[in-house]
Parts: sequence; structure tokens; C-alpha cells
Amino acid sequence: MATVQTSMPLKPTRYPSIRAAKIRSVIVNRLLDLLLWVIVFIILIPIFYIILASFKGRGEITNPTAPVIPEVWNFKNYPEMWRQIKFGPLFVNSIIVVGSTTLVATFFAALAGYALARFRFPGADAYSLAVLGTQIIPGSLFFIPLYLTFLWIKNTFGIPMVGSNFGVICLYVGFFTPISIWILRGFFANLPPDLEEQAMVDGATRFTAFWRISLPLAGPGIASTAIYIFMTAWNELFFGYTLGVKTVPVGIRQFVFGASGTQLRYDLMAAASVVITIPIAVMFLLLQKQFISGLTAGAVK
Amino acid sequence: MDSRLMSLTKTLQQSMKPKAPRERRRNIFRRIFQHRMAYVFILPAVLAMLLIHIIPTVQALYMSLLDLNVRTLLQYLRAPFVGFAHYEKIIGGIVLGTGDANIKGLFQALINSFWFCLWLQIGTLGIGLILALLLNRKFWGRGLARTLVLLPWVVPTFVVGIVFQFIWLQRGGLANRFYLDFMTMVPDGFQTFLHTILTWLLTGMDKIFWFWEFNPKTIAWLLNPKPISWLIGPNARTALIIAGMWSGLPFPTVMLLANLQVIPQDLYEAASVDGANGWQRFRYITLPYLKPIMVITTMFGIIYNFFGFGPYNIATSMFNTALDLGKHVNLLLIVIVRQTFNNQLYGYGAAASVLMTLIALVAIGLFYWLFRSSMISE
Repeated sequence: MATVQTSMPLKPTRYPSIRAAKIRSVIVNRLLDLLLWVIVFIILIPIFYIILASFKGRGEITNPTAPVIPEVWNFKNYPEMWRQIKFGPLFVNSIIVVGSTTLVATFFAALAGYALARFRFPGADAYSLAVLGTQIIPGSLFFIPLYLTFLWIKNTFGIPMVGSNFGVICLYVGFFTPISIWILRGFFANLPPDLEEQAMVDGATRFTAFWRISLPLAGPGIASTAIYIFMTAWNELFFGYTLGVKTVPVGIRQFVFGASGTQLRYDLMAAASVVITIPIAVMFLLLQKQFISGLTAGAVK
Repeated sequence: MDSRLMSLTKTLQQSMKPKAPRERRRNIFRRIFQHRMAYVFILPAVLAMLLIHIIPTVQALYMSLLDLNVRTLLQYLRAPFVGFAHYEKIIGGIVLGTGDANIKGLFQALINSFWFCLWLQIGTLGIGLILALLLNRKFWGRGLARTLVLLPWVVPTFVVGIVFQFIWLQRGGLANRFYLDFMTMVPDGFQTFLHTILTWLLTGMDKIFWFWEFNPKTIAWLLNPKPISWLIGPNARTALIIAGMWSGLPFPTVMLLANLQVIPQDLYEAASVDGANGWQRFRYITLPYLKPIMVITTMFGIIYNFFGFGPYNIATSMFNTALDLGKHVNLLLIVIVRQTFNNQLYGYGAAASVLMTLIALVAIGLFYWLFRSSMISE
């Protein structure tokens, strides 16, 4: 018996300190959780505030004694805003412009990105450098020549580049194609070329191989590129305004800058802001996984 | 597919590829003809880029050498050629300090843009890093928190301006509500102290030694807290930076979080066994892994904040005007666009834009040169 007792050199004194360390780590972790949720809440405050403000009455927003959460919820701001700036046509127009831009620019970028990933053609390096180079040309440099070029095309060939959806779609396609090429090139480079080669051995053309095999395989990349283009194009204000096209940001700009000379209607501004943000918020929340994975895929490797 | 089989196919393919010297000896035209499909594939993108970027930029470069203004606009590219006069005027005016009001405004805007970029980058990277580290742990509601953090991203930039205009309103704005409520809660002596600190922070965003330009007028407020006018004077700079930070935070957070997730966990275990504490594990494992993405995010940030239209949209809709925003918040792009349009000095505006691009290129090049080792290791 005595031998058994001496042959078990357990150290009971260690147990409390390990337990204390565990408890301490749990407490630290819960405190960090709390900190995180506080930061998340602070980040969300502006969004809550604009939604609350869109349900306030006229003059209630600039009244310091009125409570932050409205006592009487006013639902009339939305229809009034809709009428006052003729929001419906603006909204439809924006959807048309941004939707076609997304389709066309993603298609162009997929073609070019595929070519850069698969072929070592003469000029490939120069071309990919030029693609990157377009990103560091500021808009303030080329917007006047761009406008005048578009005007010249309109006057010479009769193609309505200025003041029409067609012109602004051309503009946005040119805007968003380069960065999309850069995103998609990485996706196509990661796809194994075997499948396409087999298809081409079986008699498919290069384009069929691209369209039927590579494009579906690069689905997540295509999706994230499309969301990126949609979000950025929805955001674009300056060039749309310059070309005189009626998209949502341009309409809101006139409204915000008080073109009609009336005093600022903060309540209507809040309602408009909420309505503008809803389409991309919904799209983003639905396709968030693909978007994030697509965007970070190139950066993580 | 079995990995060994895959490596076998790869080796086979490589052995079947034509040898490099033979390819080099081949005629360039034959190579172009051989790859004709590639040119067909890039053709649409090339045409779009030519129409939108290349042709207008070449015109703009030539335009910056012309005296193109409201009188000569109709002649466009046949306007009087003045060579580098615009560049001389801008650079000389800034260096010698002899420029007219336009050039002074341009210089002020350059300084503003510099500080705006710097504070925004420090802020978004710092807060983004903290957020990414916090989000990378196991906790209840992780997926929800990760989604909510990204929400500012979907808010269009001109809406960000409107939202923050609401927050900074002098009467009834959220910031002043918080501020005044907070001030009524704290005791008098401490209140004075807080207001002093806040005033310093606000007035001194661009001064390294903040107290140099302490405004004596603020002493009058100290005794009796009044609503702060956030959008007037030096405060506007802070207001703009906070709005920009809110809008720019999700991108670095996502990027850092994605990179945190691929750090091998056994490194941390090994370090713990060797007795490294939390800070050492962060400093010697996490930070080196995150460095490349931090460098890349900063380069994107310079391009986006220095001459992107994001800050332009935020500022113009926050201040409800595209005209003069005051010397504290005039960013470079806003000033160039305004001077070009209002004074109709198109040649001058193009020259200013070219100089802005050169400055950004130098900044990016310098940054790349400083951190090239971490980019290459990636």
C-alpha cells in the first residue's frame, strides 16, 4: 500500500491554477465578445438613424427636443418622395443602365480574362499592364475629352452617346471592364485546362469550350465580379450627371442640392436614401458568400 | 482525381509542349496568327478601353498643353498651344508661393487630401484589424456579426454623405444629442476638461502639435456646452474623415479576416508550447502573415481616396453643395473639378489632373519600394 501511495506523484496543487486560467480566459473572451458587439452596434447606428429619420415628420429631424425614436410613425414620406422627384422612372432607368452594364462588362471581362489566363500571345504583358494602368487615371483628367468625344460621335454618326442610356452604358462598360478583367483572370488561371482541351479534341471550338466549360466552372468569380460591378455602377454619380442621364443618384443630387429652390426636406431625403440602398443591400445579402469568397480568393493566395 | 495522376498528366503536358528556343525563333507574325483567337477574345474589352480610357486620356494630355478656356473651347484641339505654361504656373506658384487664388486653393486641397488619406488609412486599417481579430474567434452569433459589419459597404457613397449630414446636424443631429446628453451627466470640472480635449482633437487634425493653434474663442464655450457646429470650420474635417472611415471600413476588415483564416493554427500551438505570450504570437505570427494584404489594401486606399469619386460623393452630399466646401475640407478632386467648371479653364484643369496623377504615382511607387519585400514574399 505504501508503495502505491509513493508511486503516484500527482501534483494536486496545479489544478486550481489551471482552472483559474481557464476561467480567466473565458471571462476575457466574453469581454471581447462584448467589445465586438459594441463596435458592431456603433457601426450600425447611422443605418438605424436614417431608417428612423425616414419615418419622422417634417421639421422633426432638426428639432433637438424631439425624441430620436419618433413618437408618431409617419409613413407618408415614401409616397411623397416618390411623387416629388418622379422616383419611379429614375429607378427603372437606373435598373436598366446598371443591369445592362453588369451583363456586358462581365461578359467582356470574362472573355479578356480568359484570354490572358490561357494564351501567351504577343503583347499579353503589355495589355495586362495597360489594364492596370487605366485604374490610376483620375476621372477629372479625361471627363472633358470624353464628353467632347461622345458629343462628336453623336453629331457625326448620329449614335446617341450623350443624354441617353446607351451612351452611359458604353461609359460604364469601359469603366468597370479593366478591374473585372483583373479579378477574373485569377479565376480562370486556377481552373485546370484539361477539360477544355478534351472538349476541343472532341471538336468543340475555343469559344464553345470557354462558354460551356470554363464559364460555368468560374461561376463564383463571375458572380462576385457581377456584384462588384453592380454595386459600383449603382454608386456612380459624377459621369452620369455629366452625360445628362437620369439615374437615381443624379435625380437625388438635384433633390439634395435643392434645384427647385425650396428648403431642404430632410424627411424626404432620408426616405430616398433608404429606398436607394435597398436593391443593393438585398442583392448583397443574398449573394454575400460568393462575393466575399470571390473577392478574397485572389488576395489570400 | 488522384493527385498522383494529376501530377502525371501535368508532366506529360509539359513534355509535349514545344521547346522555348524553337518558339522564340518563330516569326512574330506566325505567333500572332497562331494566337489569333486570343485577340478575338480581348477585342471587345480593348475597344471599350480605347473609347473610354485611352483616346480621352491622350486628348487630355495634349489638352493640358493648350490654352483651352471658355473662348477657345469651340476650337478644342486647335486652341493656342502654350507648351508647359500651365505646369510652370502650378508648380512655380506652389513652390515659390506666388500663385493666384486658384493655385493657393489647389495647394490647400493637396494638403487636405494628403491628411485625409493618411488619417483614413490609419483609421480603417487599425479598426479593421481589431475587428478582424475579434471576428476571427469562436463566439455566439459569429455569422450574423460578420454580415452586419459589412453593411456600410452596400450604402452608396452619396447616401453615406446624406446619412452623416443627419448625424452632424447642429440642431437635432445625433452627434450633438449624444454630446449634450453626455455633458449633462458628467460633473462640471470634468466637463471642462472633456470639452478642452475634444476641441483640441477637432481643431488639430492636421497639426502635429495640436496646441499650437488653440482657439481662445473655445474657452467661452467651455463653461457652457453648446451644440457643436460639426460642418463648419476645422470640425468639418473630422466629420468628413469619420464618414469616410465608416464607409471604408468593411473592405480592409474582409480582406484581413480572410487572411487571418488561412494562418496555420499549428504555428500558434507551437509558439504556445515555446512559451510565447499573446502579444508575441500576434507580433511574430499574425502580423507577418497580414503584412502583404495590409500593403495591398493601403495601395488601393491611396488610389481610391486620393482621386476616387467615393470621397467626392461623400463630401458633396454631406455639405449639400459641389461648390466651395471651405478650406478645411476641399479635397483635391473637388477643387480641380470646380476650378475646371467654374472658371472654365480646361487646359489648366487637365494639367492639374496630370500633376495629381504623378503625385499619386510617386506615392504608390514609394510605398511599393518600401514594402516590396513583403509583396514579393507573397
